[in-house]
Amino acid sequence: MEDVYILAFESSCDETSVSIIKNGHEEIATVVLSQMDIHALYGGVVPEIASRYHVESITLVIEECLKKANMTMDDITAIAVTYGPGLIGSLLVGMQAAKTLSYLYNKPLVPVHHIAGHIYANNLVEPMKFPLMALVVSGGHTEIVLMKDDYEFKKIGGTLDDAVGEAYDKVARVLNLPYPGGPLIDKLSFEGEDTYSLPTPLDDDSYNFSFSGLKSAVINMSHNEIQRGNPIRKADLACSFQNRVVDILVKKTIKAMKEYNVYNLIVAGGVAANKGLRNKLTEECAKEGYHLVFPVMKYCTDNAAMIGAAGYYAYKLGRVSDLTLNSKANDELK
Amino acid sequence: MSLFIDTCNYRLIVAVVDEESGKVLTIHNERIDGDLSAYIFRIIDECISSAGITPDDIKKVYSVVGPGSFTGIRIGVTISKTFAWAKKIKCIPISSLEVLASTSVSTDLVVPMIDARRACVYGAIYDRDLNPVLEDSYISLESLSNNLPKEKSYTFVSDEDLNYFADVVESNVDVLKIINKHNNDEGVNPHILNPCYLKMTEAEANLLSKKND
Repeated sequence: MEDVYILAFESSCDETSVSIIKNGHEEIATVVLSQMDIHALYGGVVPEIASRYHVESITLVIEECLKKANMTMDDITAIAVTYGPGLIGSLLVGMQAAKTLSYLYNKPLVPVHHIAGHIYANNLVEPMKFPLMALVVSGGHTEIVLMKDDYEFKKIGGTLDDAVGEAYDKVARVLNLPYPGGPLIDKLSFEGEDTYSLPTPLDDDSYNFSFSGLKSAVINMSHNEIQRGNPIRKADLACSFQNRVVDILVKKTIKAMKEYNVYNLIVAGGVAANKGLRNKLTEECAKEGYHLVFPVMKYCTDNAAMIGAAGYYAYKLGRVSDLTLNSKANDELK
Repeated sequence: MSLFIDTCNYRLIVAVVDEESGKVLTIHNERIDGDLSAYIFRIIDECISSAGITPDDIKKVYSVVGPGSFTGIRIGVTISKTFAWAKKIKCIPISSLEVLASTSVSTDLVVPMIDARRACVYGAIYDRDLNPVLEDSYISLESLSNNLPKEKSYTFVSDEDLNYFADVVESNVDVLKIINKHNNDEGVNPHILNPCYLKMTEAEANLLSKKND
């Protein structure tokens, strides 16, 4: 069988990334240009600024990637691009660049859902084994997805309000931690103890999550403590908050594995880098005898390598598009 | 052959021009109708193929870089720079106000304007040979009005309803005139072909004013 090389684009938020992936699992080259330092000045991603930086860097990133791979466009089989969900202005830049190359070199254009990308980041670690359960945790998503085969996504539960990463970032702001605060809470939590009394987020029979109550509890409690003149013990608060979040994520995921009789678990999205979550899932999966895979750290944040991995399977399944393909700020995983 | 792309405002203009014979081979100049990102490649492809050529025959890209709609600008500039980078061809940035100013007028000067809201426009003053008299600016309508030379006659050109000035005419873009003006331009490396917004983002402006306080 002939090798398939996917040139992949990811620009859904504040990372401009291009990658070349061979046969859906072998990374040939990846370039990620992060704007994190720029958005840190504003305490969060400013969509218009993100879009502006994408345009400025897009051709440089493509060139760098091809150079790193020592390949030309003639070596590429197909072009995959994140079509959504994400910041529309940012998505549109990657989309136009991908479509221009598809047009000029007559290469098939493969639309990839951003979350499919995060899921397939695991395929860069080892071949995904089906059926599997995917716990998708990021700044925009918190979902449990059942997959019986490639591109068969069945969402069995999701957040009813804030995404888990979003809750982390908001709590980090209350603790006066610099952006992006999620990783810092994770780090701090290991230096503290679970001493604050915080509510358990939505603990019912469903596979849905709700983090807004917990987030509000942290905000209210820290305001009250400040008014009383009590200093916030940041590490203890981080630890208490993280424990509530991780406990419920792990509890519901394991419950879903049991109910659906699935033995393979993968974790996807930016929060897959969270050490607290990694430790607890590793522990619980070992107890149950489940096979657990995490993406390597560099593939937890947004990158085009994961889009190339997902794009390969989409391409194999004939999920290609013509040049009328458009970006979408919101779209269900399908 | 040269490709001209303007996505900055209310019109999508795509043209294929043969500079040697001085002829516009194909041109699409229509108000943007629907989602530009979804149909722009159909138009580019139609323009190139009806000119009887292939994308490989394009040796230069004239890219209109703004000012105007931020998203619109980025669509055109990203396509232009990726095209020019991939094919290793020249890339010439063009002002969207100059494009409007190419409209044929009988007055001494042309005043192209693009609505920038809050009683401001992206505006400029050009002579009939497309030389700027007042550089492209983000400017209040009042200041623009105060900058108009008293001894000259001028025509306001805009594709929007700007009620501030009487007798604003709609654009009637002359692509060949623009290309003739710029065909000897050195051009820029596609990597540095970038939008010209003329306006920083609100977040940047706020940060700057905080720093200055």
